[in-house]
Amino acid sequence: MEYVLNQLVNGICQGSIYALMAIGYSVIVGVVGMVTFTYGEIMMIGAFGAYYSFMYFGNNLALAIVLAFCSSFIIGILVYKICYEKFFNAPRHISLLCTIGFSMLMRNLAQIVFGPELKPVINIINNETYSLNLGSISLDFKLLQIVVMALVILFAVSLTLFFNRTRWGVALRAVSQNKQAAYLMGINVRSTAMLGNSLGCAFGGIAGILLSIYYYAVSSTMWGGFSMKAFSASVLGGLVDIRLSALGGLCMGIIENLGITISSATFRDVFAFGFLILILIIRPQGFAAKRGNRV
Amino acid sequence: MNNIKAFVYKYRIIAILLLLVVLCVLPFVVKKALYVRYACNILMFTTLAGSLNVINGYSGQFNLGQAGFFAIGAYTCAILSTKFAIDFWLLLPIAGLFAAFVGLIVALPTLKLNGIYLAVVTLGASEIIRVIAQTWQPVTGGSLGIKNIPYPWMFGLDTFRPKYYYFIFLIIAILFLVITRRVLKSRVGRAWISIREDQIAARSLGVETSFYKSLNFMYGAFWAGVVGAAYAPFVNYIEASQFTLDAGFNVLAMVVIGGQGTLIGPIVGSVIVTILTETLRFLESWRYVIYAIIIIMMMWVRPQGIAGASQSVLAGGIIKRKPQREGLKA
Repeated sequence: MEYVLNQLVNGICQGSIYALMAIGYSVIVGVVGMVTFTYGEIMMIGAFGAYYSFMYFGNNLALAIVLAFCSSFIIGILVYKICYEKFFNAPRHISLLCTIGFSMLMRNLAQIVFGPELKPVINIINNETYSLNLGSISLDFKLLQIVVMALVILFAVSLTLFFNRTRWGVALRAVSQNKQAAYLMGINVRSTAMLGNSLGCAFGGIAGILLSIYYYAVSSTMWGGFSMKAFSASVLGGLVDIRLSALGGLCMGIIENLGITISSATFRDVFAFGFLILILIIRPQGFAAKRGNRV
Repeated sequence: MNNIKAFVYKYRIIAILLLLVVLCVLPFVVKKALYVRYACNILMFTTLAGSLNVINGYSGQFNLGQAGFFAIGAYTCAILSTKFAIDFWLLLPIAGLFAAFVGLIVALPTLKLNGIYLAVVTLGASEIIRVIAQTWQPVTGGSLGIKNIPYPWMFGLDTFRPKYYYFIFLIIAILFLVITRRVLKSRVGRAWISIREDQIAARSLGVETSFYKSLNFMYGAFWAGVVGAAYAPFVNYIEASQFTLDAGFNVLAMVVIGGQGTLIGPIVGSVIVTILTETLRFLESWRYVIYAIIIIMMMWVRPQGIAGASQSVLAGGIIKRKPQREGLKA
């Protein structure tokens, strides 16, 4: 019982990182209107930005987050220019294949530039553990987990504020709802779509650095599975709804961690994938009310 | 131009027969065993990329995990032939049917949804199949793989030499091309193409889209399984790391570069990519970078691929119809 509860805590922590991934993914899908396959590589860029920041500027988490944000934001602009801008009116599969090509490019370039080996990311946050006693059960919280969850909540809240309180945020929501109507209202759809894509990518970058802190390591080859999980989580949230996607990410994390308590850790991805199949069979629109057929 | 087309059409049977003779004589003319091995690879990838092209190019679905079905075929053949000593020629259809069955399971939840869901599910399925192959020690041998897969019997020829194994791949490739051509000319093939061009229009004209889409997916998976079963004895040793997502993307690159929606496209693609792979071997990982750049360039310049179907939705934009009603204009 105690073990399961502790795994639940782990699941919530990991789920909150997945939530951040899913938020970024659904921002991209909502605003651009096309699905991306480069998301894992974007997370990788964020994580490596942070890694080099830790290497050259010491263990300064805030600076690392700023660097990760900026680097993945810039890559986001590149992705937009290469994969989306020309293909808004073309059939969907063309931009999809473009993102696949771009992801192959990034992954293999990263293996050449950064090297394929696992690089350690340790001692960023002090390795302290707090215990919470509830009667006979004691729950262990690591300081790392608390920091990660706090950061996720901070970013999610600031994104919500950005979407609701600023002019750009309103423009982004308008483009996400209906491109043509937004165009008629005098919004520059192309630049707004670019901003939305880069913003989603930047959130992916931050999720990348949190994942590398959480796993104490970063490598150029570990991101394919996370990309799929971001997709599954946002499917659970109906692909374009930000809040529901965050909830979906949380669910994914919990299910994965409870799944590996009853089997071995090699089946982590199997559980995530089985869960996706189950959702698609039972309720393809996820938590959302409408069918997820828009994209 | 029309004269050339008419000329080609007139002598196509002779041309095909000539090509067949050349292909049959090739392994005896080429002395170096290495080059025969390359020819085997080209024929194998012709069928594999062709099977992916049936899915991606003819019905407009989006399969990214062809390596998974290939792996299922290879493992079915390896397990059944090492443990139960079933004959190779019987294993080919068995492996194909099993891959088709798995394909149905994978495609079923996404049939009523948009193509992108199928893309991610196939991507995930390919990875899951690999993970299972790597961890299910008693059956698949885990990370040690399966060794000493028996060579097939073929008229008493020693098929452990690529020179003679070449003919197995040749037979499979010819069977694939002939059968697929017949299927595509039939009602089923026309239904697939209509789904690719416009799913809603196809449906309104009475094409049962989910039936034909699942049939299409199973057909593609079937041939991937057959090729996988032929691949296992050829390399004599299989393990999970041969069927990564990158292997699947390699096949996808062949289809995208060679051309989607035509039978000749994947052949062109497999020839180009195999030759590039072998000649650029000294570049090591840079060659994947080159493939990626070629894919992106292809999408920008010619989305249907080198020999792809130009008069289709694959070429991007709306199909241009020939102006037929010129007489009616004032």
